Amino acid sequence: MDMLYYPGCTLKTSAKNLEASAIAIAEKLGYKLVEMDDWNCCGVVASLTSDDLMHHLASLRNLIRVEEQGQDKVLVLCDMCYNTLKQTDIRMKASQSDLDTLNSFMDEESDYKNTVKIMHFLEFLRDEVGFATLKKKVKKPLKGLRVMPYYGCMLLRPREVAIDDAEDPRILSDLIKALGAKVVDNPYKIECCGSYRTIDQKELTSRRAKSISSYASTHDADLIMLSCPLCQYNLDVRGKEAESMYDGYSQLPTLYFTQLIALALGLDVESLGLDSHAVDPAPILRKRGVID
Amino acid sequence: MTETDVECAKQDEPSQVTATVEIFIMGKRYDVPIGFTIMKAIEFAGYQYIRSCGCRAGFCGACATVYRKGQEQKLHFALACQCLVEEGMYLVQIPFVPANKALYDINDLAPEDNTILTIYPEIARCVSCNTCTKSCPQDIKVMMYIQNSLRGNIAKAAELSFDCIQCGLCAMRCPADIKHYHVSQLARRLRGKYIDPESKELNARLKELEEGKYMDEVDEMMSMDRDIILNLYKKRKIEAQGDLDEGADA
Amino acid sequence: MKIIDGYPDYMMESIKLVEQKREKNLKIDVPALTMEGREKVLKAYHPDFMDSTKREVKLGPNKGEMIYNGIVDLLESKSILDTKSVDLTKIHYDVDILIIGGGGAGTVAALFAHEVGGVPKDKILITTKLRHGDANSMMAQGGIQAADRPVDSPTIHYLDIYGGGHFTNKPELAKALAMDAPRIIKWHLDLGVMYDRMENGEFQELSGGGTSRNRMHSAKDYSGMELMRNIRDRARNLEIPVLEFCPIIELLLDDQGIVSGGIAFNMETDEYYVIRSKVTILATGGSGRLHLSNYPTTNHYGATGDGLVMAYHAGANLKDLDTIQIHPTGDAYPEAVVGILSTEKIRGLGAIPLNKDGDPFVFPLEPRDVESAAFIQECKKGKGLVTPTGMPGVWLDSPMIDIIHGKGTIETKLAGEYRKFKRFDIDMTKHPIFVYPTYHYQNGGVEINEKTETALPGLLAAGEVTGGVHGKNRLMGNSLLDYNVFGRRAGLHAAEYIKTRNVGKLSLKHIDDYNKKLDELNIKSDIKAPILLPEYRGKEVLARALDIL
Repeated sequence: MDMLYYPGCTLKTSAKNLEASAIAIAEKLGYKLVEMDDWNCCGVVASLTSDDLMHHLASLRNLIRVEEQGQDKVLVLCDMCYNTLKQTDIRMKASQSDLDTLNSFMDEESDYKNTVKIMHFLEFLRDEVGFATLKKKVKKPLKGLRVMPYYGCMLLRPREVAIDDAEDPRILSDLIKALGAKVVDNPYKIECCGSYRTIDQKELTSRRAKSISSYASTHDADLIMLSCPLCQYNLDVRGKEAESMYDGYSQLPTLYFTQLIALALGLDVESLGLDSHAVDPAPILRKRGVID
Repeated sequence: MTETDVECAKQDEPSQVTATVEIFIMGKRYDVPIGFTIMKAIEFAGYQYIRSCGCRAGFCGACATVYRKGQEQKLHFALACQCLVEEGMYLVQIPFVPANKALYDINDLAPEDNTILTIYPEIARCVSCNTCTKSCPQDIKVMMYIQNSLRGNIAKAAELSFDCIQCGLCAMRCPADIKHYHVSQLARRLRGKYIDPESKELNARLKELEEGKYMDEVDEMMSMDRDIILNLYKKRKIEAQGDLDEGADA
Repeated sequence: MKIIDGYPDYMMESIKLVEQKREKNLKIDVPALTMEGREKVLKAYHPDFMDSTKREVKLGPNKGEMIYNGIVDLLESKSILDTKSVDLTKIHYDVDILIIGGGGAGTVAALFAHEVGGVPKDKILITTKLRHGDANSMMAQGGIQAADRPVDSPTIHYLDIYGGGHFTNKPELAKALAMDAPRIIKWHLDLGVMYDRMENGEFQELSGGGTSRNRMHSAKDYSGMELMRNIRDRARNLEIPVLEFCPIIELLLDDQGIVSGGIAFNMETDEYYVIRSKVTILATGGSGRLHLSNYPTTNHYGATGDGLVMAYHAGANLKDLDTIQIHPTGDAYPEAVVGILSTEKIRGLGAIPLNKDGDPFVFPLEPRDVESAAFIQECKKGKGLVTPTGMPGVWLDSPMIDIIHGKGTIETKLAGEYRKFKRFDIDMTKHPIFVYPTYHYQNGGVEINEKTETALPGLLAAGEVTGGVHGKNRLMGNSLLDYNVFGRRAGLHAAEYIKTRNVGKLSLKHIDDYNKKLDELNIKSDIKAPILLPEYRGKEVLARALDIL
């Protein structure tokens, strides 16, 4: 079955492995992820920080593309894009006058009709595929692997866009269990990773990565599992940089949920981009027998 | 001046003005002939161009023009040499676009995901308002090539922007201060230099020339008597007529 | 006057006749002219063969030779520069290389002088009349010739050039053109030019008129623009100094009679600048805007032959300016595209030329000069139409193409042409297009040798301003090649030349001498040269003009 998805710019640049692994696992689960035509940037979080209606143009234009392509649902892989698109969706559904304003500004486009359902890929796996189904397809259970789930902000805040309980999310834990791994629960899972401060305050972001990863290490986690490309960048790249700031500190590897699913489904390891991480996950995966 | 035998009119002087339309050039009213381009109408009205006029054929981007008609709300964009005057147009041409170009040496770059973003970081400010696309007199999907540049799809950005004549209207209209036409110039150069494939035939020919091949052949031809070379010329095999199917004459 | 489907009503009346006779016309074959018939129509109607289009120039190095009237008019006018108003003791720009003209040839020369010749960028100055890159170089659509395929060779290219030029080219220049071509294409690739490719990486190479091999390299139908914007971008990145809207109006000589710079004129402030240089490269381009023999033109706004005039004033000789290249199917309607080319491919696909009665009058695929002459003849016989803005012309029955080859052929094979006319509400799949010959290229110019040296020491020249490369007829695809090959050679030679050059005292005496000679010969003219810009202002406005500011 074909499922339309919106990739977002990050998946085409620094998170190619998120996209590749998502496409691979979807295929294994019987779905073909089809990249939508002529998409543009989601508009990023600019739409969160102010009430400037114009910042919703980018999002809305993508939703119009989905309608044009004859679809009523679009999957999103990047948390930031998901959050941005969803915010626009909610606002357009809540305010016809805002929608009218944007529709009339975009006189070169057909009007948006408010028909598109936006779904994060995680939601899709939970609600449409089902973790139980997923569990049945697991070829190589991740037995013995201790995984700390990390949500960050974009999947859960603000509450209206949350794909799970914003205070006590379980979706990642449930997924980890379905893959046969051990969950290392933690109080940092909904903390901010430092987000865009990674550009102007690298050290602050490195310190945050260190706190999150240190908790995991002291609770014997092997690695951190997450879904957001920006969180991944900060925990991985800035976390690695923290190693030179603190004597003897060692950052845990960070993997996308899609990569772990792919490993459990027995997909080709080469295609998962495991070599593109700053903190190499291969040694611990090898140690736990997940890869050869 | 000498009269010549060919009695065709110069292209820019109408033999007779039949009907006119009323236009406003920078606010001043003039009656100009129907069927004239904006460019020729402005000249007819008595202006001699120094700026805002180049190739007069839609290739150079010198004559970017903005106009409204009557009480219309909408601003229109055109090339003065490619757009006919209409009743009630009020218009101005853009003599220069202050859009600073980044300096780079193409030889020091690589066609990577973030190459364009590094040189033109302002493309990340795009809010997808699409005003650039709406301002383009060439009907280029300007916003889409900026979006492709943003996500590192250099080949696509180059392809989408290929027909750009660098008039600069996009850059003048962008609320995010992006200099689109400079961005796409970089995308096309990256593609032409690094992404498009090598020509093996060209490289082989260059090697031959380096080794001095063909020098004697051409020198010999240069010293031939006219009758001999004329005969050689007449006997050429013409590829487009299928003459080569029986074997080349080289 | 009513406009119906893009055409005025009276032209539409004529189109009705074209439509009525289309079925019949499709079955008629107009025979090709005999050699004698060709000669007759050429001699009677092609401007190159008409005495009235040319005359003997009365002074200067080419005294007594036939040159097109519009150029002689300039050569027999006094200089635009009043030498008394110039103070040569104050030098405004002191450089090693002055490049006159910011089109293809000039920019290529600057790049090679700097990048290969090692001349510092601050010792180079490009001056240009309009913007950097405003030039015929930008407008070429078809492409550039280079013999790089195994079935082709520089030798075959040479033969095509030389024969195409009726064996009037300077052989050493034709040789340079053919031999340098492949390295020029390679240089373009290194700059980042996007040539049309096949899947295996080889170029899509097409045939051109008069060429025996497919060697036309193209970049869609924007070949000239793609080359020029890449070359210009390189020059901008290297920060080569360019003075825009500041044409050179006369050359400077030193006390040894060696060209040593020029006087630039800032067209926006009316001030002059004295530019001293060790070597000067003339790259001012062509002269379409002189409308020689009253033709419309495919050329850009600044193509007024300035370089011919200033070089002649200083003593350089001209070559082959008794010929021009006209192309039969320039657009004659709508007004907006007058003079712009409609490709030969339209006739190649089966469209035939028809007169105002809808009748055929010439074999559609005669050589360009013959076809042009036949169009002119038909109009002179009163069998053409005249547009509301005064352009004569004949029909080219484009709808025949879809009838012959099937619906949709025009939109796919002539996509650019289809779009051009569609802009003006003309659907060339339904209605014929209206055409008349147009002035395309200045075959000759300032004579150069293979190092781009002119007869004047200190003056090099490259591009359309030069004479000798193409002889009396240029082949399609060789003009883009010309400016690259000789622009490069000029830049490299300039870098060598300046090493031993010492500039003496600057002088404009040659201008005074030239003006004096005109007086002695009692030659009067109501213009001054070079003219810099064509005069297109409305006649009524000019009639009321006051000269008070």
